[in-house]
Amino acid sequence: MKALALLAPLALIAAAWEGSVALFAISPFYLPPLRDVLGAIGANWQAYQAAFLITLLEAVVGFVAGGLVGVGSGIVFAHAPRLKQMVLPIFIVSQTVPVIAFGAIIVLWFGNTLAAKAAIAFYLTFFPVTVNTLAGMEAVDPRQIALLRSFGAGRRALLWKLLLPSALPRIFTALRLSAGLALAGAIVGEWFGAVQGVGALLLAAMFNEQIIALWAAIILAAAVGGALFALVAVIEARLLFWREEL
Amino acid sequence: MTEAAGLLDPHLTVGTAPAGREKLGLRGVSRHFGAVHALDRIDASIPEGAFVTLIGPSGCGKSTLFNILAGLLEPDPGGSVALDGMVVPPGGLLGRVAFMPQRDLLLPWRSVLDNAILAAEVQGQPKKEARALAREMARDFGLAGFEDHFPQQLSGGMRQRVALMRTFLFDRDVMLLDEPFGALDALTRSLMQRWLLDIWSRYRRTIVFITHDIDEAIFLADRVLVMGARPGRIRMDRAIDLPRPRAAALITAPEFTAIKRELLEVLEEESLKTFQAGQR
Repeated sequence: MKALALLAPLALIAAAWEGSVALFAISPFYLPPLRDVLGAIGANWQAYQAAFLITLLEAVVGFVAGGLVGVGSGIVFAHAPRLKQMVLPIFIVSQTVPVIAFGAIIVLWFGNTLAAKAAIAFYLTFFPVTVNTLAGMEAVDPRQIALLRSFGAGRRALLWKLLLPSALPRIFTALRLSAGLALAGAIVGEWFGAVQGVGALLLAAMFNEQIIALWAAIILAAAVGGALFALVAVIEARLLFWREEL
Repeated sequence: MTEAAGLLDPHLTVGTAPAGREKLGLRGVSRHFGAVHALDRIDASIPEGAFVTLIGPSGCGKSTLFNILAGLLEPDPGGSVALDGMVVPPGGLLGRVAFMPQRDLLLPWRSVLDNAILAAEVQGQPKKEARALAREMARDFGLAGFEDHFPQQLSGGMRQRVALMRTFLFDRDVMLLDEPFGALDALTRSLMQRWLLDIWSRYRRTIVFITHDIDEAIFLADRVLVMGARPGRIRMDRAIDLPRPRAAALITAPEFTAIKRELLEVLEEESLKTFQAGQR
């Protein structure tokens, strides 16, 4: 049922793509037929599969690290208001610099490695997660905190039994958002000289005006984004089973 | 609510509270919040095993007093709270009295059973052991068959019973209940009152119960404390010597209405003061 709900919109997009290309006689330069694009992917399956896995790995590493650091710093800020006042503004300022502005520096530092792309994905991920973890923990009903304290709960028990579970819905909202950002980070990282990955395929297709390859790379990017999002959704369904609206 | 009705034992035997030994003592407890004088030199002595209700007009400082008894607030210097005859140091009441707030405050990610054992778990009791105990108690609390449900699947009355079970499982001699039945409809409420008396007779705890329903205050209590308008003070300390077990029809008995009239007089006077203060 769930798979069907997912497949139906995809089928609709595919039909609209094919249909409009045929119906409006769109030049393949602007929009090649979907079957040609899929055919190109099929013909070069191994290369595309490798690119998919590399970019997914880069994004996942950065995303997981960003998620952990984000939740961690959210917890620290919630417990240390002074530290929050000092450090959170630095976090905010760091986010005002577009990542592309210092992508080259990161590649300079880390070389053309997985770490460089993961670092950029991390940079885009940790901030929304930090802010939402903090907001989620600060939004906990003070009466609920008072109740646990009256049971004799210390900081640790409060954190694990109340604050963190209460903040989970917001944390996952941030993670869903960050999944897309992590992918963008990985692709941007690949633009600074990588020879492998979805970003590299995109650049190569663009420079060589291979329109079909360009669209194939776009579909590949969507597949990586979808995989990341699915990963988050599966974990979310596990942990937030108690939220009715899901 | 039929499951609660089934629980009411028509032959309850509730002995009178063992008189004498003081469980909880308040000596000159005052509390200011900035310029607001919430409590003014409260003195009270609550004997072991007694069911004491606390009633007063809204804004009289009942909740402040409760938070002090729960250890969540400290009284102003000069006043003190004693538990078992020993004066309690600041913060010393946390974890020593079982507190049940107005709202059930159940955690939506925990099952009925796991909500009920929350306090025991925080106290370091092994989960397995606490769960086994809770499973046994579930029947007494009208929750048999619902142990593995989640709070959002329960009715208001059931949620309240889970919260009560959590309070009982937090094995402390003193229980503080803050208007636990305030949000329930009249019929459910009356059933829950008799059910609570039944449970109390079986588990024997000292209970301090806040309410603003006079009938409820008299029906449940060995003693009613009436609080006055702000600054909160104890205006009246009335022993309720109506026989136990108490049946629903008791609230129409002449002895009952005589007590009610007496309390109403004091309460009206106090409510009027609050009202007039608000008009000035």
